[in-house]
Amino acid sequence: MIAAVVIPAFDLRAALRLRPRLQASPAALAPLPGTEQLVGSVTGAAQAKGVRPGMRLGEALAMCPELVLIDHDPATAEQAWEEVLRRLEDAGIAVEPVEPGLCYFETAGVERLYGGLEPALKRALAAVGTAWDPQAGAADRRFAALAAANVARPGQALIVSDDRTRSFLAPLPLQLLPLERERYEELEELGVRTIGQLAGLPGTAVAERLGPAGRRAWSLARGEEQGRVVPRKPVTAIHETLEFPEAVGNELTLRRGLGVLLDRLLARPERAGRPPRKLAVWARLVGGASWRRTVTLREPTADPARLRTALAVKLLELPAPALKLRLEVGELAEHTGEQLELLGSEGEAGRARLREGLRQVRAAVGAGGVSTVVEVAPWSRIPEARALLVPRDD
Amino acid sequence: MVAHTRSARTARAARRLNQPRPALVEAHADGLPRRVNRQDVAVVREEWRVVDRWWTDEPVHRRYFDVVLETGEHTVVYHDDDGGSWFTQRA
Repeated sequence: MIAAVVIPAFDLRAALRLRPRLQASPAALAPLPGTEQLVGSVTGAAQAKGVRPGMRLGEALAMCPELVLIDHDPATAEQAWEEVLRRLEDAGIAVEPVEPGLCYFETAGVERLYGGLEPALKRALAAVGTAWDPQAGAADRRFAALAAANVARPGQALIVSDDRTRSFLAPLPLQLLPLERERYEELEELGVRTIGQLAGLPGTAVAERLGPAGRRAWSLARGEEQGRVVPRKPVTAIHETLEFPEAVGNELTLRRGLGVLLDRLLARPERAGRPPRKLAVWARLVGGASWRRTVTLREPTADPARLRTALAVKLLELPAPALKLRLEVGELAEHTGEQLELLGSEGEAGRARLREGLRQVRAAVGAGGVSTVVEVAPWSRIPEARALLVPRDD
Repeated sequence: MVAHTRSARTARAARRLNQPRPALVEAHADGLPRRVNRQDVAVVREEWRVVDRWWTDEPVHRRYFDVVLETGEHTVVYHDDDGGSWFTQRA
């Protein structure tokens, strides 16, 4: 069977980790800058006052004037989610994370480990931790497992057998299906409010009206999806942190800090000589917000100069001065060596490579795609008289 | 037979690098640019004149301005004193 573990409103819970007192008061995630003014996840107290996730900000504030808006904290959420996944992996569960607050796993292996499906699900819930109020569901298909987890109460697991899948899904609301908001509204206008009602419609009519996404939702509603679980490879936690005595916004200082972190990170024995493939730069900003950028290298390398170049550009995106800077290894390559050339590609070999590269550019963009800059009057006071672009066809 | 297309012919000809491009500039009464391509000018950093080729049929009389726009963009524009138009160009 496939099990799903869901932590409702994970992003909000993570953002409130440092302000636990707000968990009991009406609070909601503020809209992201530059996006539609809709509130994100909401607390139970806000929900009791009529505020719903996805509601317009103005409407939410009119309904609940004391509503506290919480800024997104993606770095804290990502870190907290990684901790949850690690605890699950420590319990012997090979998880496939989908997004912060949702993951799947195959129960077959852990059933034997914990003596049955139910004890295995309970172990998974315990591994996540009661503070997160996790919900678990198990079924033969991914979507049914997800629906069961959404229906389960906090700290509980719901198991749906294959023969009951369709009848279990039928009365559930459409919002469980992966569709855009406009599609739900469109379906509701047509009188389709439950998964069972959608499953009862002809597939071709659904595809014609709602497109491929609608057709996929229809298949899910009928319990016909065949997706399996692809567990992630457990990652080695290697990170280095630098705390500044005062907020730093100066690019040079930040670059130096990053250089120090990089040297420390590359010296870590856990790396076992393997070059990083994916790195993340994290910062705690003035005012408490967090910031994170991931860098995936085209070619894994442990060359400090190349890594510094790849990471330093990300620092330019830092929106505010940083109090803390952290460098994390997201993924390490499996190999320890790098296939280098015995002889440098200077001289004829280098020129041959260049010619081949230029041939490829010409093939892609056509004649005139490659030009040489020829200085004709570099001393001229008229800028456009100084150089010519001469096409190269050789 | 296939005609030699104009695009193929022009693609192979050498062309000038850093050609001036027309710009939409609003100027103050003293000729200093106030808005460049619908962006307010924050500061005029430098101004210089280029007078050249006065002995030919195509004399050059330009008044260059190195400006920083409100958006933080750094650009160089010039006023062509003969044609009366504005252009942008890397100086």
